[in-house]
Formats: sequence, C-alpha cells, structure tokens
Amino acid sequence: MSPFPLLKLAWRSIWRNRRRTLISMSAATFGLVLVIFYSSLMSAMIGEAKTQLDTTGMGHVEISAAGYRQKPQASRAFQDPAQVVQSLSLPPGSEAGYRVLARALISSAHASEGVELHGVDWANEARLASYVTDLRAGALPAAGDANGILIGEKLAARLKVGVGSKLRVMASRTDGEVGANLFRVRGIFHSISPAISQTRVVVGAAAAQELLGTPGAAHEIVVQIDDPSKADALAASLGKQLGGGYEVFSYGQLIPAMKSIEALMDNALFIAALFVYMLVGLGVLNTALMSVMERTREFGVMMAVGTRPRRLVWQVLAESFWIATISATVGLALGLAITWYGSGHALMDFSKKLGEGMDLGGMTIRSALRTAFSISQSLKAAAYVYAMALLVGLYPAWRVTRMRPADALRRA
Amino acid sequence: MAVVDVENVTKRYEERGQPPADALRGVSVKVEKGEFMALAGPSGSGKTTLLNLIGGLDAPTGGTIRVEGHDISSMGRAALADLRRDRIGFVFQAYNLIPVLTARENAEYVLELQGVPAGDRRRRVDELFERIGLGALAGSRPLKMSGGQQQRVAVARAIVSQPAVVLADEPTANLDQHTGAALVDLMRELNRERGITFIFSTHDPMVLERADRVVRLVDGQIAGDERKKAA
Repeated sequence: MSPFPLLKLAWRSIWRNRRRTLISMSAATFGLVLVIFYSSLMSAMIGEAKTQLDTTGMGHVEISAAGYRQKPQASRAFQDPAQVVQSLSLPPGSEAGYRVLARALISSAHASEGVELHGVDWANEARLASYVTDLRAGALPAAGDANGILIGEKLAARLKVGVGSKLRVMASRTDGEVGANLFRVRGIFHSISPAISQTRVVVGAAAAQELLGTPGAAHEIVVQIDDPSKADALAASLGKQLGGGYEVFSYGQLIPAMKSIEALMDNALFIAALFVYMLVGLGVLNTALMSVMERTREFGVMMAVGTRPRRLVWQVLAESFWIATISATVGLALGLAITWYGSGHALMDFSKKLGEGMDLGGMTIRSALRTAFSISQSLKAAAYVYAMALLVGLYPAWRVTRMRPADALRRA
Repeated sequence: MAVVDVENVTKRYEERGQPPADALRGVSVKVEKGEFMALAGPSGSGKTTLLNLIGGLDAPTGGTIRVEGHDISSMGRAALADLRRDRIGFVFQAYNLIPVLTARENAEYVLELQGVPAGDRRRRVDELFERIGLGALAGSRPLKMSGGQQQRVAVARAIVSQPAVVLADEPTANLDQHTGAALVDLMRELNRERGITFIFSTHDPMVLERADRVVRLVDGQIAGDERKKAA
C-alpha cells in the first residue's frame, strides 16, 4: 500500500469543512504554544534563581563550624580558614573563599539599622559575589583598608549616607563585650535582592575579626562549582573530608524552598500540560469523529469498491496525521519564536510593583520575567501534542471498521 | 460455472423494538457470464437487498451465494473486500463518487487498491474515459459534473478493473429519461465489448426493455424470470 494516495486523499478530506478543521488546528496550536510558553517561563524562573545564587554570593556548597547554623554566634568559628580552603578537594573550575560573619548594628548620623556583616578577602569575594563589583558609587576598598565598608543602595538611602560617610558598626564579641568600630563608606553596591541591598555590609576580613575578637578565624567557607547539580555529592564528599568539626551543606539543603518550588512548578506544569493535551485531544477527536460520521456513506462506498478495513483505519489516521502535523509544526514554530523573543525581552514585568528583584524563600529572582529558550523542551511538548492528536484518531478509525458496508450505504 | 449463484437465500432484518422483516424468502437464481440482467419489482421487493448480498455488502440469514464459485458467506471482511476489489463492480443510484477526488482519481481508486502502478492506472483510465466520452472531464471534481456525467464516471470506476460482474442499484433513477437511456446503452455496449456481466435493479420500463433477462421480485420472492430471445 502506497502512503501517498492515502495522504493525498486525507489532505483533501480535512479541508472539506475548512472552518472546523482550522478551529481544531488553532486549538491544538494554541494549546501547544501555551505549554511551551509556560514551561519555558517556569524553567527561566528556576534557572534565574540558581543564577542569582552566584550574584548574591551564596555558595553551591557552604561550610561552617559545627553548630554555627543552629546558633550563629561569633565564637562558633574555625581557625586558619585560608588553609582549610586550600585543603579542600574541589572539582576543576570551582571558586572558594571564606567569610567572617556577624549580626551587627550600623549607625549613621541619621539612623541605625540591623545588618549582616560580611568580613571578606576582597579579591576572592569579587569572584564569589558579583554584587560587590556592581558599584553604583565609589570603589572596592583596597586590600589593606582596615576601615573601608561597602553598603547596599537601600541601606545607604535609609541611613542617608554616601561615599565617604562615617558609619559606626557594633557587634557582640566572643568575650561577651560589644565591639564597635568606625568605618568609612568606600562604595555603594547594587543588588537585585532587596534583602541584600538593605541589610548586608561588607568589610575586610581582618577588620571583622578585630571587631568580633576572633583573630585568624572565620565562620563560613563558600564553594561555587560549574555544575550545580553536583552540589549534593560534593557536600557529602567534603563533609567526609573535613570530619565532625564542620557542617557542610549544599544549596538545596540550605534553601529547601528552592527544591520545593521546583517540584511544585514541575507538578503545576505537568497538570497544566495534561489539561491542555486533553483539550487538544478532545478538539481533534471532535473534528475527526464529526468528519467520519458525516462521511459514513462515503466509507460505505469505499468498502463496496474493495477497500479493506485496515486501509480505512489508515485513511482516518492519515487525516489525524495532517491535523497533528500542521498543528504541531505551527505551534512549535510559534512557541519557539515567542520563547526566543522572551528570552531576550521581559514579557511580564512586575518591577514597577515589586522592584527589580523578588526574594522567595531564600531565592532571588528578577521581577521582569523572561522565558528560557529550549528547543529540546519545546520539541518534547510538540511531540506530546502530536502523539495526542494521533492517538485520538484511533477512536473514529475504529468506528469506521465497525461499520457494515450495507448499513453505511443506507445512511443519507 | 455461473458467475453468480444464489441458492435458497433468505434475509431477515431484526431490530430491537421492531417486528422481524423478511426481505428475501428463499431466493435462488443463477447468472451466467456476460448476461445483462435486470432485477425488477416494486419498492421493498428485495432488489437492493439481493444486490447487497451478492456483492458481499451484507450477510444472508440463510442459503448460499457463490461468486465465480467462491462461497462468500464463509469469507472474512478482508477477503470479501478483496473479492469486491478484484471481481465485483458497483454502480449506485446516487453516483456515490468521492467528492474530493477528480473523475480520473475516482476511477483510479480501485486500481490503486489493486496496486497497479500510477502510469498504468492513468493510461487505463484515460483510455476508458475516451471510450465512454469523458475524456474532457477527467480532471473535474464530481460536484462540477452533471448527474449523467457522474454516473458515467461511476460506471468507469465499476468496470476499470475488468470485474466479473457489475452490480448496479437503480442506476438511472436519478437521471432524466434521455440520459438514463444513454447510460443503459453505454452499459450494454461495455457488456458486449468486454464480456462483463451486469446485474441491475430497476423498475423503469425503458431500462427493462434493454435487458436480456428480467428477474422479477415480489415480497422477497422470485415471481418471474424472463429471457429475451437473441435478436
């Protein structure tokens, strides 16, 4: 049996009722575009949240002294952090650095704010947290600058300070006293995370150690790797390497919300896609079934002139094939075009209401939402629509084979 | 051997909520090769039912039907389809051409089912169309053609594969007297030229007078079987 006359007849048959076929194809096409768009939006949001781990300075793996995560006190620190960093077995391309951390009170002549103090090695930090180099005013403090401090735009606005202003920082020391020091604003950074912009201040590691009374000690080692999906495995191996005096966590363990949201989005996408696929299936089924019912007599004639039941099945499936092929092709092309455009331009922008970024359960994403352009993901969605459209064609095809020629010919 | 051998065939229609209806009651008839035979009788006498049974479009309730010696009541659906494709042609009252195919493609359809190569199909159909005066209409769709033209295409579709028998159910019923007479004359010519057996149902006296043999059905039974003497 040659498929070509069969496909030609099917092609002409689907255009007998042009409007109905176009409506059915449009529904399938629109459904596919919707699935591609929605899935690419979800992927982009998760991808954005993962990307923002780097820009906010969070590690894919973070190491701290045992008990620090449960009770973050200045005394829960580890010694010789630079040496510990050197000793870590890390995959090629990894970045690692240590930080001195504390909760502190920062005061200007106008206001006081509670902040997170990060004491860092400036050169390392510039590689680990891109916000420290995204300066809107001033410059990064020099390596030996004992009084230089970087603060965020929002904090600067609340404290009403600028580059060169003096700030007093107070924090609890390990000896139970309150440490205090004067710093001068060297730079004002920009971060899309409202929390970082408003509550984080960065000073040199030595200055932070002096303030807290923890010379030569640090609270955290941050490791960033090329493939974040290997973070859990790396955390496990570093945990074994470092032993019981340390806690090692992957970002998934530190921000459980990210995995929850990822799972939630996957489930929501699955349900939405299933719903759309079912609607597509019903639309194509309706068209195919109506078309078959209207042509009962014609199928009777085809049987009368010697068409085998199996060929009639292929005939009906060939009509579903055309509807599926056109819908999937057009839907895929439109979906790819929209998501490609959306990957470079914000299709939904909530930044006027929400600001540049949104903090969600420890994650930060941009308020101007973009899509992730993924050919493989779009092809997968198109394949499902295609399969669904072909699958539903089986029912009308089966109906045709159940007809007795004489009964079919009697139909008006 | 008879081309068609109908032996004591009965057909009862039973539908839920309706009393059973006997459409054929013990019909027996033999049709020899090359006959041009009419089935006559009033509406409801069983003409169409008998044609459907001979063509394997429906199954008899009792009795046997043989086409070229094959007992069609024991055949499966695919085997019956193959028999119709290769040995039986159909012409229907309402033409029943496939509207999305051209006249040529309608006639080619049966050859395509038989697996005849495209070039051969086209040559055979074009020759036949020239013979029956449809050459200029080969590329036309059925809806652009008159009833008489459509029925000629239907006749072409029925005979293009050189079947043993053509079954025509009221082929002139939708045609005017002149066109109907021309169509029957054409069928008669093809019957003589190609030796194809024609069995057609009709109650049109003009058609009946052109038949070699008239089998009359009344209430599902054969009421008469007249053969005309050769001229």
